[in-house]
Amino acid sequence: MNNLLEQFLSEGRDFLQGIAEKLMQLENNPNSTPLMTELFRFVHTLKGNSGLFDFPEMTRVLHASEDLMDAVRNGRVNYSQELADQLLEAMDFVGILMDEIEVTEKIGTKHAIPAAELAKALRALLGNPESETAVIEDISPKNNAVISWADLPSLKLPESIAEKLYRYAIDGDAVFWLEYKPESDSFFKGEDPFFLMRQVRDTLWRKVVFNNVAQTLEEMDAYSCQLAFQLLTIAPEEELDDLLRYVPDETKRIEIPALAFVKPQGNEDDHPIDVEFINNALILLDVGDFDALTHAINTMLELSASELWSSSALRWVLRLIESEPDNKIAQQALLESLQTLIAPDWSEIAQTIPSTNTTTNSSTSVNSQVPDDSLLLGFHEVMNTQREILSLSPHLSGAWSEGRLKAVAATLLGCYRAVNHDYESETDAALQLALAENSPAPLLALLESSLADISKLSETPKLEQAELVAESAVQDANFGRRAEDVTAVAGRRSEDATAVTPNKTLKVDQEKVDRLMNLIGEMVVAKNALPYLANRAETVFGVRELAREIKSQYAVINRVAEEMQDTIMQVRMMPVSFIFQRFPRMVRDISRKLGKEVELVLEGESTEADKNIVEALSDPLIHIVRNSLDHGLESPEIRRTAGKNAMGKLLIRASQESDRVLIEIIDDGKGIDPDVIKNKAYEKGLIDEATLERISDQDAVNLVFAAGFSTADVISDLSGRGVGMDVVRSAVEKVNGTVGIESVVGKGTRLYLSLPLSMAVTNVIIIESDGQIFGVPMDLVVETVRVKRSQIRTIKQKQTTVLRGRIVPLLSLNDLLARNVEPLTNEDDEFATLIVRVHGEHVGILVDNFRETVDIILKPMTGILGGMSGYSGAALLGDGSVLIVLNPRELI
Amino acid sequence: MKHILVIDDAATVRLYHRNILEGAGYQVDEAINGIEALEKVLVQPYDLFIVDVNMPKLDGYGFLREFRSQKDVLQSPAIMVSTESGTNDRTLGYVAGANLYLTKPVKPNELLSYVRLLIGDLA
Repeated sequence: MNNLLEQFLSEGRDFLQGIAEKLMQLENNPNSTPLMTELFRFVHTLKGNSGLFDFPEMTRVLHASEDLMDAVRNGRVNYSQELADQLLEAMDFVGILMDEIEVTEKIGTKHAIPAAELAKALRALLGNPESETAVIEDISPKNNAVISWADLPSLKLPESIAEKLYRYAIDGDAVFWLEYKPESDSFFKGEDPFFLMRQVRDTLWRKVVFNNVAQTLEEMDAYSCQLAFQLLTIAPEEELDDLLRYVPDETKRIEIPALAFVKPQGNEDDHPIDVEFINNALILLDVGDFDALTHAINTMLELSASELWSSSALRWVLRLIESEPDNKIAQQALLESLQTLIAPDWSEIAQTIPSTNTTTNSSTSVNSQVPDDSLLLGFHEVMNTQREILSLSPHLSGAWSEGRLKAVAATLLGCYRAVNHDYESETDAALQLALAENSPAPLLALLESSLADISKLSETPKLEQAELVAESAVQDANFGRRAEDVTAVAGRRSEDATAVTPNKTLKVDQEKVDRLMNLIGEMVVAKNALPYLANRAETVFGVRELAREIKSQYAVINRVAEEMQDTIMQVRMMPVSFIFQRFPRMVRDISRKLGKEVELVLEGESTEADKNIVEALSDPLIHIVRNSLDHGLESPEIRRTAGKNAMGKLLIRASQESDRVLIEIIDDGKGIDPDVIKNKAYEKGLIDEATLERISDQDAVNLVFAAGFSTADVISDLSGRGVGMDVVRSAVEKVNGTVGIESVVGKGTRLYLSLPLSMAVTNVIIIESDGQIFGVPMDLVVETVRVKRSQIRTIKQKQTTVLRGRIVPLLSLNDLLARNVEPLTNEDDEFATLIVRVHGEHVGILVDNFRETVDIILKPMTGILGGMSGYSGAALLGDGSVLIVLNPRELI
Repeated sequence: MKHILVIDDAATVRLYHRNILEGAGYQVDEAINGIEALEKVLVQPYDLFIVDVNMPKLDGYGFLREFRSQKDVLQSPAIMVSTESGTNDRTLGYVAGANLYLTKPVKPNELLSYVRLLIGDLA
């Protein structure tokens, strides 16, 4: 994906977020003009950005949104809940398109219809926009020129090509239709028709046709040339003459007038456009309100499919307005053709149509001088613009500031230089005079006289032209070198640029950070090999000095590695606001759907945690919030009868407690009734009758986390979804977090998640069992104890022991791993027992022996091994061996 | 090396212009609104400005008005680039001090030929 598209998506998402936030704020403050302006600017900029790409569906929706916001901003349409909903929906749609673009870099065709519908819905809210104040342009009469329409070929060109040709023709480039029918024996005369036609420069369209269709296959002579070449070119006439000088009789050349290209095409199976629209457009055209007309046509275009004949015609009207604003006859004819869906007959109309204006004529004549045609066209446009600026009426323009005169002079000078004319002293003199008189007149005089000079120059004898051509050839020859210079400088420039605009934040691909993280992990492991090496140097090779040096070097590397690890961990930290920010919208949508009134309070949004943790939190949190809204908070009526404030309160708070992040979701709803839970659990067979009798209220509430537990009688589309809080629990435990719940009936519920700040480095204790070593995450380990064989009792056929007054079930690791071996004891006949906390209960695991604890980079198992839930992953140890890390939660 | 200041609040548009202009060998600076642009132009001369209209804090018109009334700075040409194509917007731009008014999105070739013209680079 190119950098521009990436930038567009990343900035675009920020805008979508911004738009959503502003809409939320507007809800509380619907008359705030600054908010409205800001909102409009977001939509406007986003639309502008989308216009840089070919995403018509997105632009269409954004354009409609922009018009709507513009109307709201100007007070033409009132801000309403419905409007906000519609806008949010539109922005959601744009978000979906962005997601799709991110993956496929394009927008699927299936979005065209929803886009049109959304745009329509947005425009429906707009009502009928009042037409803007009419600006009647001054139309100066133009010379009539006679164009021969008689032998014009009938052209069937794709609209894009026709448009291009039209623009060339309008801008004063002669567009030639060239037809070449080589003699049938031309192959034997050393002619190469195909090559000849390829020699024609600036060809915009070309076609080879079979000249003799009546011929049957048997009659066909493969050695005779039966082809005809047709092409459209903007190559200069003289050049064509020169090129075709040997085949004058076989070629036909016609200059095509611009209007001949104006030919709507497309699906004619189309309903004529609404008469009202056409009449309205004709009126706007009549009064010369091009702004309103353009707007109306654009709107119509957005509402109709682009491949229709009428859409094509509308696009041509726009082009005519842009290129020939004063050719009203043509515009009118085209607009009227929308009723019949038959293209206007230009040859009839042509008699009454004024020809292309005079300035373009002069540009044609200057063309031959300078190689870059587009530059010359631009030259005249820029000159005309400066003329317009200099002739602005005083009441509009106000006093002429020095700066504006200087800028116009600089522009003129640039233009002269660009077309290779030296007017430096003249321009300077005119500027000084203009500054002294504080009047644009001297510059205007210079402009007119220079334009006359430049057109005169083009009529100078061929000799001078030849020189100019030679000069341009020299420039071309230099071009290669110039290009190198450019690239050399480009490198330097990008450094300069960063120096001038320092970026405060840097957006980096997460993959890169992950890779860096992995590399650092590997370095930590590699570094851990050094103490082994030192040990070997001393014990195996007996070089104690070297061993000491290795150790001191190890200390240095160790420090650097730890610092790197810390830093990269900081990079991965992100604030929880990343997931909190979506809650206002979500809570608003859901509570409105449920008919509840909820005030959402977010606290501690700046609390940071590792990116993986924050991301892992996202789904469980959404689930919890939905649950609170759905089951926790009551409807306003029930709250009122219970003597509570009708507006429920939902608090989401993040805070840091030592090396863990604590997230609390507190509501003041109806709370969880332990009796309901108990009975439900019993019905579902989650607990037996005995448990039902003696289970404490807190334990009963905790049952909501049990697998397959869902209290909602009807599974709503909000919470529920067939899964319960057990999904939340397992998601949280996946990232080594814990979840808990407290509830008071009638008062509310507090749910809390406790998560590690980072899961990059895991501290594990190494244990031995049946000749192998395993790691167990330290955050699960409560303590390590030695249990005498005599202290082990059998209760209900299970081994247990009493530890500090609590019964702790004992399991042998060998049994868990299906190794039929007795755990070993030490010389005092004691079992090494690892007490771990699993699902809130303490369990003892009998192992052979304990070893040290180490920090490791835990890599999850992949492939087939990834399915073995009893292991949470593997890690490399300093000596290069692999440590398998157990997952006691699943194992037990 | 000709130095161009691109003033636009949309990062995407700035990057779009930067890609085009740097590709043609110009040096490009960016400003995200009129205020930031003024801060830049007062300490360093530029050969050309590409100015967006709708920006927070200080819009394109405002920037040009302020800039054109400054003394002792290099008054280089300015191209105003806007999504509005109306005659009124155009005139407003010229009154504020723009030398050319283009409608977004500007095609790369189009932009480049105007830039060359206004800056005075030989074709």
